[in-house]
Amino acid sequence: MDAGMMNLSSAPHVRDKWTTPFIMRVVFLSLMPATIVGCVVYGWHAAAIVAVSIVAAVLSEWLFNKIAHKPSTIWDGSAVVTGLLLALSLSPSLPLYIPIIGSVFAIVVAKCCFGGLGKNFINPALAGRCFLLISFGRIMNTFAVDGISSATPTANLAAGKAVNLTSMFLGTSNAVIGSSILALLVGGLVLWSMDIIHGQICFSVLGGFTLFIALFGGQGFDPTYLAAQLCGGGVVMGAFFMATDYVTSPVSRLGQFIYGCTIGVLGGLFRLYGSAADSFSYSVIIGNLLTPLIDTYIVEKPFAYRKNALRGLDPDSRKPRYKRIPKPVIALTVIAAIAGVALSGVYSMTKDTIEAQKEAAKLESYKVVAARADSFRAIEKAEEMISGSHENGVYGSGFGRVKINAVYEAVDEAGNPIGTVMSITSSDGFDGDVTIALGLDADGKVTGIAFTELHETPGMGMRADEESFKGQFVEQDSVLTLVKGEAKNDGEIAAITGASITSTAVTNAVSAGIHFYQNVIKGAN
Amino acid sequence: MKNTFRGGVHPEEKKKLSRDVPLRLFDPKGEMVFPLSQHIGKPAKAIVKKGDPVLVGQLIAEADGFVSANIHSSCSGTVKAVEMRRVLTGQMADCIVIDNDGQFTGKESWAARDDGGTLSNNDILQRIQDAGIVGLGGAGFPTHVKLKPKDPDAIRWVIANGAECEPYLTCNDQLMRSKGPEIVEALELVLRLFPNAEGVICIENNKPEAIKEMKKAVGDRARMKVKSMITKYPQGGERSLIEAIAGANYPASQLPADVGCIVCNVGTLYAIQRAVLYREPLFSQVFTLTGEAVSQPGNYIVRDGTSFAELVEAAGGLKNGTNAMVGGGLKTDAKAVKALVGGPMMGIAIGSLDVPIQKQNNGLTVLDFDPVEEAEGLMTSCLHCGRCSTVCPMGLTPQLMAEAAELNNLERYEKKLYGLECIQCGSCSFCCPAKRPLTQTFKKAKGEIMAKRQREGGNK
Repeated sequence: MDAGMMNLSSAPHVRDKWTTPFIMRVVFLSLMPATIVGCVVYGWHAAAIVAVSIVAAVLSEWLFNKIAHKPSTIWDGSAVVTGLLLALSLSPSLPLYIPIIGSVFAIVVAKCCFGGLGKNFINPALAGRCFLLISFGRIMNTFAVDGISSATPTANLAAGKAVNLTSMFLGTSNAVIGSSILALLVGGLVLWSMDIIHGQICFSVLGGFTLFIALFGGQGFDPTYLAAQLCGGGVVMGAFFMATDYVTSPVSRLGQFIYGCTIGVLGGLFRLYGSAADSFSYSVIIGNLLTPLIDTYIVEKPFAYRKNALRGLDPDSRKPRYKRIPKPVIALTVIAAIAGVALSGVYSMTKDTIEAQKEAAKLESYKVVAARADSFRAIEKAEEMISGSHENGVYGSGFGRVKINAVYEAVDEAGNPIGTVMSITSSDGFDGDVTIALGLDADGKVTGIAFTELHETPGMGMRADEESFKGQFVEQDSVLTLVKGEAKNDGEIAAITGASITSTAVTNAVSAGIHFYQNVIKGAN
Repeated sequence: MKNTFRGGVHPEEKKKLSRDVPLRLFDPKGEMVFPLSQHIGKPAKAIVKKGDPVLVGQLIAEADGFVSANIHSSCSGTVKAVEMRRVLTGQMADCIVIDNDGQFTGKESWAARDDGGTLSNNDILQRIQDAGIVGLGGAGFPTHVKLKPKDPDAIRWVIANGAECEPYLTCNDQLMRSKGPEIVEALELVLRLFPNAEGVICIENNKPEAIKEMKKAVGDRARMKVKSMITKYPQGGERSLIEAIAGANYPASQLPADVGCIVCNVGTLYAIQRAVLYREPLFSQVFTLTGEAVSQPGNYIVRDGTSFAELVEAAGGLKNGTNAMVGGGLKTDAKAVKALVGGPMMGIAIGSLDVPIQKQNNGLTVLDFDPVEEAEGLMTSCLHCGRCSTVCPMGLTPQLMAEAAELNNLERYEKKLYGLECIQCGSCSFCCPAKRPLTQTFKKAKGEIMAKRQREGGNK
């Protein structure tokens, strides 16, 4: 070395060990628990989806850079994380071309077209997922474990049904690959403790969501209900891994808090009143879109310009003091708590009344279908007969997803049995469940049907409640066939024009009732 | 008050290389070069000419104006020239060059200690000014100006800065270990100027020996205490210390005195003690020669004007190579890729060691690797991860500032993002995982804004 040969640079001349690939590696590893649980629970196909998604993401980034004559950026590891995040938010039963399409869209359209890492305005993985949801709605919402498809816990929750909280928490329920809340929490909290993700974001998302659900979910601060809502539909995944994406979240702490609350509240809103399962994907994306606006207007001032810049010069303030919580926050918390407690109280008080009213409605409809009856009497061993004849909650075969809810004996004033009434639900309605009350006379002939639950399309499926359709069932005494056009023979029912799904559901429910009467009740006697 | 500030980073300290090597005076043999501009403010005016004989401590250039400082010779000999020489910024600047006779003949009077007790405040300030003392922490602000705030009674804290947060550097550690009583004496002199102030000696807790020595030196003095600070960069920054001690933050347009503080580096205090009690001018200071490429890292008292090359050569040269002085420059085959005047966080990189040491230089770090070059290969786009905002000791938002500066939106940079509050400590660049050159961008932006202001001011 001679004079004047050493390198020049502007201070600082040293750098920290943290690099972009390092951060991506840590995020990747923090997603591993959820990935492993997902692959173990859902099997090889889930693992294949994960692998295919990651490979597609990396390859498409490489290819894009190649074609665009840009230096390759796949070494930074962000494409791997995007591919993995997308895969974890997909159903384990999808055909493999779906994650490929999703990854390519996420990387090429949402990320690379906007300038690559750090320039995208929405989270690429979520963009990919939403693209798939819009384009492949039917397939995307098919969740099947071991070939049997059924509703996800979130869908059940939205329909007001009970869910298995433990299996949701552990990730063994029927949901996306990365649905193990326990595993996601472990990963998320590790990221938080390493200061890789901002607590302001993830906790305000969870807080905003919980508060909204508690206030408007109709069940107040019922812990089981809130926990079920929090464990389902990607809330935890969204809060810890999607909303916290650096590029698409605000910079300032206040901005991050506002952003997190917005996502949480919107997520709750969509969950309760919109598409329950995908609420979080859309709310995080809306949060992403608000980010540039938040960053433009909410900029933290330097210490010297903040209100407490000269705090030390005032002798009183030199005593140690607990950080004061802003008053509006206290006020809001108190209001929310009171409202929540009140709602919980109202719910628990009216719970029995609601049940009683439902029971009364049933009785009312039993009376409609068995007009001559004076009262209804429990049948001996009815419970056993029902449970014994159902498999996986479905009665018989050939009736679709039909379930017998209850069966009673109709008796006249003198107390003599004059027939049977049943409550039957078919889950094959066009929009959820159809529940009917079915009356049969002593000979097993239908005396009438009435609807206790029907929310089909007005003017189409709703026409099932018209006499022209309902009346056809009277006097029938065998398993029925649905026909289009006019019903010519006994045992045929004419479908409602333009509402064959509803017609089928109702007909199947009646058929199942007749079948149940003939084979189970009569058989027992 | 917590003994630290908000934000900050933890670079590798690397102080082990030299921390236990005691201070040693280094007497150079070669010619000595004294740049006329070694401080903030106007350059001094040379008062010697070619052929003049000089003694150690003799005034060779005079302060020109209020914010300016005297320059004294650190050797005896004859003036060789007053000419343009290369200085550590890499530029050519006016310098006085002295042919060193190697005798270091000085004035006898320094040996006699003056009794400080009878001195008036004005005497103290005058002696500091005469001695040409500038802040030895790095900025080089003339000390007599700093010690003359508008209202001396309003000063509540005189902070002796012994934090030494810059990685590698250890000379202040050694100074406090060996010159505790002198520093305390100087702090007492300064406290006489500020009747309502308390002296606080701040030392990072990675220097337990220095803390112990300083506590011993302070004894039971009522107006003085030693504070052990949390080890974190930039703890030794003026604003960081004031936040930690006074609990106050002030904008760039204000001075420490505006929030009741005076901050003096311990090296400066030692110089004040020599100046006031012995009337010895500032021509030498403590200095750390360190870095992985240096054979024998150590702490020195160096004379101003000494060439870095000569000091390195005399201290055993660079590691794993042969070293020789050829025509005033160091000839070596050792592996040294980067030389930093100061430490790696705020130091200035010099291409050649053949430049003179100036008053406020407190170290030379020679590295056999280049972390900047390594980092450049890992640069990605900004992730917006927010680490820079977390570590900024000023509470700024570096990622948005960089964005604005890169888009040349200087209006937003200055008004909305308070970009001019940046103290260029380098914490943001240090911690950036995307390896963005943040601090460097801010230096440029600040330069552009200042230039624009000057242009607009000139048009009026």
